[in-house]
Amino acid sequence: MKQFIISSETDAIREVEERGDQTEIARFMKEEVKKQLKQFLDEAPQYFCSPSGPKLALVIDGKCLMYALEPSLRIMLLTLSLNCSSVVCCRVSPLQKAQVTSLVKKGARKITLSIGDGANDVSMIQAAHIGIGISGLEGMQAVMASDFAIAQFRFLEDLLLVHGRWSYIRLCKVVMYFFYKNLAFTLTQFWFTFGTGFSGQRFYDDWFQSLYNVIFTALPVVIVGLFDQDISSSLSKKYPELYKEGVRNMFFNRRIVAIWACFAVYQSLVFFYFVSLSSSTSRDSDGKMFGLWDVSTMAFTCVVVTVNLRLLMMCNSITRWHYISVGGSIIVWFVFIFVYSGIMTRFDRNDNMFWVIYVLMSTSYFYVTLLLVPVAALLGDFLYLGVQRWFFPYDYQIVQESHKDDADSINTPDSQETKEHLTPDEARSNAISQLPKEVSKHSGFAFDSPGYESFFATQFGKYVPPKAWDVARRASMKSKSKPK
Amino acid sequence: MSSSTPSSSAGGVGSADSAAPRRNSKRPKYSKFTQQELPACKPILTPRWVISAFMLVSIVFIPIGLVSLFASRDVVEIIDRYETACVPDGYKNDKVKKRMKKPIYVYYQLDNFYQNHRRYVKSRSDSQLKENSSWDDVSSCKPEDMSNGQPIVPCGLIAWSLFNDTYSFSLKSQQLAVNKKGISWKSDRDSKFGKDVFPKNFQNGTLKGGATLDPSIPLSEQEDLIVWMRTAALPTFRKLYGKIEQDLQPNDQILVTLDNNYNTYSFNGKKKLVLSTTSWLGGKNDFLGIAYLTVGGMCFFLALSFTVVYLIKPRRLGDPSYLSWNRNPGGH
Repeated sequence: MKQFIISSETDAIREVEERGDQTEIARFMKEEVKKQLKQFLDEAPQYFCSPSGPKLALVIDGKCLMYALEPSLRIMLLTLSLNCSSVVCCRVSPLQKAQVTSLVKKGARKITLSIGDGANDVSMIQAAHIGIGISGLEGMQAVMASDFAIAQFRFLEDLLLVHGRWSYIRLCKVVMYFFYKNLAFTLTQFWFTFGTGFSGQRFYDDWFQSLYNVIFTALPVVIVGLFDQDISSSLSKKYPELYKEGVRNMFFNRRIVAIWACFAVYQSLVFFYFVSLSSSTSRDSDGKMFGLWDVSTMAFTCVVVTVNLRLLMMCNSITRWHYISVGGSIIVWFVFIFVYSGIMTRFDRNDNMFWVIYVLMSTSYFYVTLLLVPVAALLGDFLYLGVQRWFFPYDYQIVQESHKDDADSINTPDSQETKEHLTPDEARSNAISQLPKEVSKHSGFAFDSPGYESFFATQFGKYVPPKAWDVARRASMKSKSKPK
Repeated sequence: MSSSTPSSSAGGVGSADSAAPRRNSKRPKYSKFTQQELPACKPILTPRWVISAFMLVSIVFIPIGLVSLFASRDVVEIIDRYETACVPDGYKNDKVKKRMKKPIYVYYQLDNFYQNHRRYVKSRSDSQLKENSSWDDVSSCKPEDMSNGQPIVPCGLIAWSLFNDTYSFSLKSQQLAVNKKGISWKSDRDSKFGKDVFPKNFQNGTLKGGATLDPSIPLSEQEDLIVWMRTAALPTFRKLYGKIEQDLQPNDQILVTLDNNYNTYSFNGKKKLVLSTTSWLGGKNDFLGIAYLTVGGMCFFLALSFTVVYLIKPRRLGDPSYLSWNRNPGGH
């Protein structure tokens, strides 16, 4: 790793500082910083040519940062920082923390995340797009100013790679599905207008339209938004590159929206034309004919069934809540229509729906059509999903496939014991997980408190190897020499 | 495994305070629901699933399609357009080609008649049709609500435009009886059209839209009206006129005497007379059979092509070389 260090502890600067002239110091330091930035900026490109070259890091301290953040040098600082893999700013004041964050936020136009645990981090947390506060030893100020609060620094990994990623996927799915189901439902009415002389007669009964988004298709999508996981949390951390899918916005771009819209159009055509063309002759062996409301009830039944089944097709993980909500929505539709068409109240302006569903369900036409229409409508989607997964798989799909035979290792720490080779980290976590859950080993320190867990562990007779940095830190505290 | 260690992580759940005595934990109670660890089935759409799904659909759909198509082919239908001659000779010859078993349904079919027009569909008063006490509830029936200052029963454009062509049939100079009872939905007769509601002030205005109604017959028995008032979904529709309770043999010649009363000329509507038998699936409609066969056939074809492609261009499941960071290493 190649380090670019801009420090104010150089001899030249100390010498000028000893002279005591403030304007002189300021001018000199600014010159120094400018010179160094320029030098590093010229050096940096040569490391890019080889992809296997060393990574770059920039180390700058608070005093130099003050000059580097001035408008004339800011751009150079930003360019250099963006080329580096990491930038370490030490001994910075809270204001400078916020200034650095804003510099990246506005200059690089990237999404910034800042994390801190003390009151001095508050301005930085608020300056960034996403601020994370760590609650604990230094108090709750950071937490109160933040968007997310976590208890230990290491939970950041979970937050980003697991929950952040899942959140992105779920959000895309929910939004896309909402548009799709309303598009499929509304376009069916649109095709109907061509047959009504463009008079604006609605295809569906008023209650159907009002309750569609409230009862008949609402709950399943909420369940998907809560529970959908494309891969488990442990795999998400094992393949952090999958996080890039969210960064590149791969699941909610124009192509995806266009595809869903096309399928919605196709499905609405199926719903309308299949149902209306097949009901143009008499309904059953007693020769009577269907009217407008019978045809529309048939179409609506098909829409509700299809749209709910499509939801199941787009889930990555199906829990029993999915089954309950999807089945429940369809059953609620039938219960509703049984009740609605069985009663005639004074408050209905029209009795259009009276007895419609009972007559419909007494015909064999109903069942034959109810089998055909959802399958024909979902055929396109199914084909698309199959082709997409086979020929143009997303990364998470590959990961899913390669790990599909893994036992569900979430609730069984014992499964870890079957693996022969555990890394020291895993061994440590494993040992800790063996501790009975009720006793709190959770200390809320921002960083893993040294020796804390091993204290409890030894109480329970389990051996927990101490961490390397912890040992080194303790050793370093005995002397004043530089740590590490 | 960090998931099984203290897991009060993101989302602002809050955390245990470090200052509290060590054994006193504020950690929330663990439950699978809140920790996103519900047991789930994780289906993966492997080629095996795709191919089997398509095969299953084709295996189920093709026989159903054939059965439906046969049912539709079984139905014998005779359609005759008759309004081309303004005053038809009054006789038409209908030759029966195949044996038609009773009951044979007589329909009149109208083309280009928009019974699904918004203002038309709105123009009725169901409360008036149901009970005598609401005989003056005509507000939704405009413009056919009042005539000569009195409310019309039944009001509305739908009732006003009641179809009034009549047909009578004879075979070998013997009259064929047309049963006009039981042609409407039973639920309509029983509940929607009242037994105590009688037509009043009907077709009394300057413009007659269609048939007149006998004021001594209650609405629940005016089956033509009931059939007509079930508005159709599309501009080309059929409505049941009556039933012939007699078999017809091939090469029978039916003579139809009709009254061409209904004025469809002003809007270029077409009128057709349809004689049809039915099957368990309804009237003559090949659409369902053809749709099933098409979907089943397409699925079969897709299953075959998927199998071929799978054999030609296989991809090992979970092959890490397809991961995008392995395919272009070092790309940002």
